Amino acid sequence: MSRGRKIGLAIFGIYLLAITVVVIIFGFKRIDNEEFKPQNEFKLHTWIDLPGPLDINKGVMYVIIAGILATLSMVYIARRMQARPNRTQTAVETIYAFVRDDITGGSMDDKMARKWFPFLCTLFLFIWFSNLIGYIPLPTNSEETVNIAGLEVPAFAIYAATANISIPLVLALIVFVSYTVEGFRAKGVIGYFKSLVPEGVSGAGVVPLFILELVSNLMRLLSLSVRLFANILAGHLIILFMSGGLAVLLGLEALGVFLLPAGVALFLFELGLVATLQAFIFATLSAIYLGGAVAEHH
Amino acid sequence: MLSTILSVLAATDDGADAGKAIALGVGGGLGAVGAGVGIGIIFGKVIESVTRQPEMRDEITGIQWLGFALTEACFFYGLVAGLIAFFL
Repeated sequence: MSRGRKIGLAIFGIYLLAITVVVIIFGFKRIDNEEFKPQNEFKLHTWIDLPGPLDINKGVMYVIIAGILATLSMVYIARRMQARPNRTQTAVETIYAFVRDDITGGSMDDKMARKWFPFLCTLFLFIWFSNLIGYIPLPTNSEETVNIAGLEVPAFAIYAATANISIPLVLALIVFVSYTVEGFRAKGVIGYFKSLVPEGVSGAGVVPLFILELVSNLMRLLSLSVRLFANILAGHLIILFMSGGLAVLLGLEALGVFLLPAGVALFLFELGLVATLQAFIFATLSAIYLGGAVAEHH
Repeated sequence: MLSTILSVLAATDDGADAGKAIALGVGGGLGAVGAGVGIGIIFGKVIESVTRQPEMRDEITGIQWLGFALTEACFFYGLVAGLIAFFL
């Protein structure tokens, strides 16, 4: 037997043994836990009370961290550009080229691409950083506090600014306004609305098609924001349930051990694929909408 | 069959809770069916086209992930609707 296979078998054995030991110690009986409410993991407590709707809560904290991190890291790397790039610079240059060529360049002409590349790159990086720091456990869960030496310390939790509908909705609104204004400037207000109807349609078909296209245009706002929000929220919920939440909810200790590998696998899947993919999708669709608003043919 | 189940559910005291559970089950469980089929079709077609034209691989990979994310999102629409019905 090869070495890797031995290690794999040993880990599997420990996994089975742990489940058995936990079943023997705690038994396998369902005791419903009424106190633990999984939806409270996403509740936003006001931390600092400011006048009006400007309260600071954990969502705001995540937005600020993501913004600062995205700006500072990129400015820092841009300041220290060298002719012979080190590993970090190469990675950032790859991202830059990817956004420029694949996201922006693929869906609009050169003049538009030069104009909108900074916006789309900012959008991509902000969402990406926001998603990624969402997977770092931080002491933000002020619903459940841990008492350490008389001090109420919030429990560690994962949360992302994009797991709240408001941030993706604001980003989608910015994109919506940008491409509508860009369409108005390229074709005029009436010309833009005329261009919503596909070419070659005339007569009685125009009015229902126009209404349909207008509604689908507004639905972009919803689909763009809900796609990002729902992906991140569902990812966080599944990680929560798989790595302990279900065990606490049902009072089944063995279930927690049984589901832990699934939790780890899903965490890696979300971190490695979904976080990047959603940022990519948001930026790509924004680029497609921007390009489509000024394109001659619908 | 369905009407019998629904009438039994309506007769119980916690009919509202059962309705919520159904909402979550349909939103999360049945919603996954459509997205699963869609994702399967996308990756199947990608394998098909890459074996046919291996030189197009890079171009296809980009479109593949776009299609994957758009399809996958449909599952989450259902799941979030189910979660809203369950918790709110």
